[in-house]
Amino acid sequence: MKFFVLHESTWRIRLRIAQLGMTLRQADLLEYYLQEQDSVDKAKVLDRTGEVVIFRTRKTEDWSGIRSALENFSYQDERLCELVPQETGRDVDRKYAEKLTMMILGRIFRRIFFPAPLRMIWTVAKSIRFLIKGLRALFTRGLDVSVLDAAAITASLWQKDYATAGSVMFLLNIGELLEAWTHKKSVNDLARTMSLKVEKVWRKKEDGEEELVGIGSIEKHDRVVIRTSDIVPLDGKVIEGTVMVNQASMTGESVPVARKAGGYVYAGTVVEEGECTIEVTKTAGSGKYDQIVRMIEESEKLKSNTEARAFHLADKLVPYSLGGTAFTWLLTRNVNRAISFLMVDFSCALKLSMPLAVLSAIKEAGSHDISVKGGKFLEAVAQAETIVFDKTGTLTHETPTVVDVVTFGDMKEEDALRMAACLEEHYPHSMANAVVKAAAERDLVHKEMHSKVEYVVAHGISSRVDGKRALIGSYHFVFEDEKVRMPEGEEDVLRALPDEYTHLYLAIDGVLVAVICIFDPLREEAPEVIRALHQAGFDRVCMMTGDNERTASAVARELKLDEYHAEVLPEEKAAFIKQEHAAGRKVIMVGDGVNDTPSLSEADAGIAIRGGAAIASEVADIIVSAEDLHRLVLLKQLSNALMKRIRSNYRFIMGFNAGLIALSVSGILPPATSALLHNVSTVVTGLRSMTELLSESKEH
Amino acid sequence: MAWNWNKTAMFVGGLLTGTAGISILSSEDAKKVYTHCAAAVMRGRDKVMEVCSTLQASGGDIAADAADINEKRKAEKKEREIEQAKAVLAAYEEEQKA
Repeated sequence: MKFFVLHESTWRIRLRIAQLGMTLRQADLLEYYLQEQDSVDKAKVLDRTGEVVIFRTRKTEDWSGIRSALENFSYQDERLCELVPQETGRDVDRKYAEKLTMMILGRIFRRIFFPAPLRMIWTVAKSIRFLIKGLRALFTRGLDVSVLDAAAITASLWQKDYATAGSVMFLLNIGELLEAWTHKKSVNDLARTMSLKVEKVWRKKEDGEEELVGIGSIEKHDRVVIRTSDIVPLDGKVIEGTVMVNQASMTGESVPVARKAGGYVYAGTVVEEGECTIEVTKTAGSGKYDQIVRMIEESEKLKSNTEARAFHLADKLVPYSLGGTAFTWLLTRNVNRAISFLMVDFSCALKLSMPLAVLSAIKEAGSHDISVKGGKFLEAVAQAETIVFDKTGTLTHETPTVVDVVTFGDMKEEDALRMAACLEEHYPHSMANAVVKAAAERDLVHKEMHSKVEYVVAHGISSRVDGKRALIGSYHFVFEDEKVRMPEGEEDVLRALPDEYTHLYLAIDGVLVAVICIFDPLREEAPEVIRALHQAGFDRVCMMTGDNERTASAVARELKLDEYHAEVLPEEKAAFIKQEHAAGRKVIMVGDGVNDTPSLSEADAGIAIRGGAAIASEVADIIVSAEDLHRLVLLKQLSNALMKRIRSNYRFIMGFNAGLIALSVSGILPPATSALLHNVSTVVTGLRSMTELLSESKEH
Repeated sequence: MAWNWNKTAMFVGGLLTGTAGISILSSEDAKKVYTHCAAAVMRGRDKVMEVCSTLQASGGDIAADAADINEKRKAEKKEREIEQAKAVLAAYEEEQKA
């Protein structure tokens, strides 16, 4: 792509792309591409002028790397087109930036160019909207903020002080616009992270066999098989089988519904139990995005308790403001001073800055690859003292590796591994992934050898292969639950198996045939992160795992955990959290697997590791990238900083405005000035709430 | 009879507006004028936003250049300080030798 350099500084360069006009999609593609480059620190594409502003990182020598990246760029790049989402929020930003600019310019224009009578007419005309809003609120909700605003405007108009009325309305409009903009932006950002992309689905061919294909290649009337813990990938009609579907992501109801042949299932809902084949009625598209946006707007997820309390307080103060006005007038018989009470209302400041603070905190978390689904979860993280970790995939890497396959009897290693992989590949668990990967590495290809696959959560998998009952799972599942026999004479081998590995036992027809040893190393940063979590304010750092006692105690010792529980069932994990609640403590749960879902919902804030089971990400309140556990510490610091900011905003608003009222009631400040100061301080507090919570030095 | 011309004029004026006036204002030709006006207003808005975008970018240019200047000054100042410190150290060592 050709470009011209318009301006070059040491670390910043501005260029124009040689093309006529630039569509929003092209701008998005280019910006994404540039941000991906290592040498680019920040890049912004201005679609209106076709310009690009790029900042390079300190470690680059010159612009040559970036130049060549630009020259090699093409809008047709397939990988980019797939990677860059359709909705990036650029059109929303464009629309609101335009509205804001027009509002400000319009005001300046009117102030300078409109003759006095015209300005008067304009002000009165504009005020009608606020007055109607105030009157309507008065008759439905009683004395709330819009009543106060309407009273302030009426008071100024009555005094023929059109300038003050105009500036009050202007600032109210600006506040409303900023709020609408940030709200829309955060809903969009949230919806984008929540649009979980199911990539591969099991398509059933005409001969009844299943194949794993990309979701993009599914067409209408194709048949797709969905099983327990899958997310329904596409809208469809059930052809055969029965499933219990959790439709919480669509309708909000958490009780699962049954779907039999003839029933419909919707994309994005979760299969809690059962298996069925569906005929696809609608292929992948953007309909789901709009659905998510609607759901976010309808649920109160975005509001946190502190915000709700602030709004409530704002509304409660209104009668006092009105009362204060009347009282001042009675005392001083000076209408001017009385009106200052009306002008300086705490409510609009509170209502503007609180949501802005929360929403920009959510956005800032997003920039660190942490998706927060609502303000109240940040609040929960700040208030929580206990944090509970799952082990596999959370404290350990998400891909443990198979180190050894110990066989018994006549079973060969490759056959055992092949059979294990065949059984395990249907389910998203890191142990399962390890087995599948090991088989793939040894090029052990298998056709679907088994028939119906059942999954017993946290224990193991059972199925039938060649008519024989095949089991794979933990010691507890295979030996104690299913009563599998040990082959004679080989008990010693079993006892000699090394302890630090996790063991998966494979049994056919009631006899143990192989043990697969899996090595599940801790993440390198885990000990450091646990220490940092203690420092950041968590009193109790605990671990709950379904894995065996030996490995669990070794891990707990190494990480210096406060508490740990091994061989835990999913319900027991949730019960532990309930116990903490009963003791009055707030709990955070960090997990990534299907067996973590009950505890993720039970916790005050459930954190899922991205890349784990899709159902965990669906149920969790916060999703953290799998790269680095330090993000958890960052999250805690961010939440604490947010709470601190909210408290300081609160104090500033109450203090400053009370001071303004005092000054203007005593006659020192004319009401116009105090109104101006109040409005300016409101906007400033709002803008400051949008700045970053964690300073640059803390990043990375 | 003394006609009140004013009131008559107003009456006739009102009559004309109500009949011919409305039909002119809502005719196809008038609609074309409105459309062109609206298009011009939209062009105007786009142009204003373009100018704003350019202004912002130019502002960024200025800020970046200013930051460059300050960085260079800081680097020069550091150099000077190091030179001075070296000179002081050299003089002290000379003194010690003597």
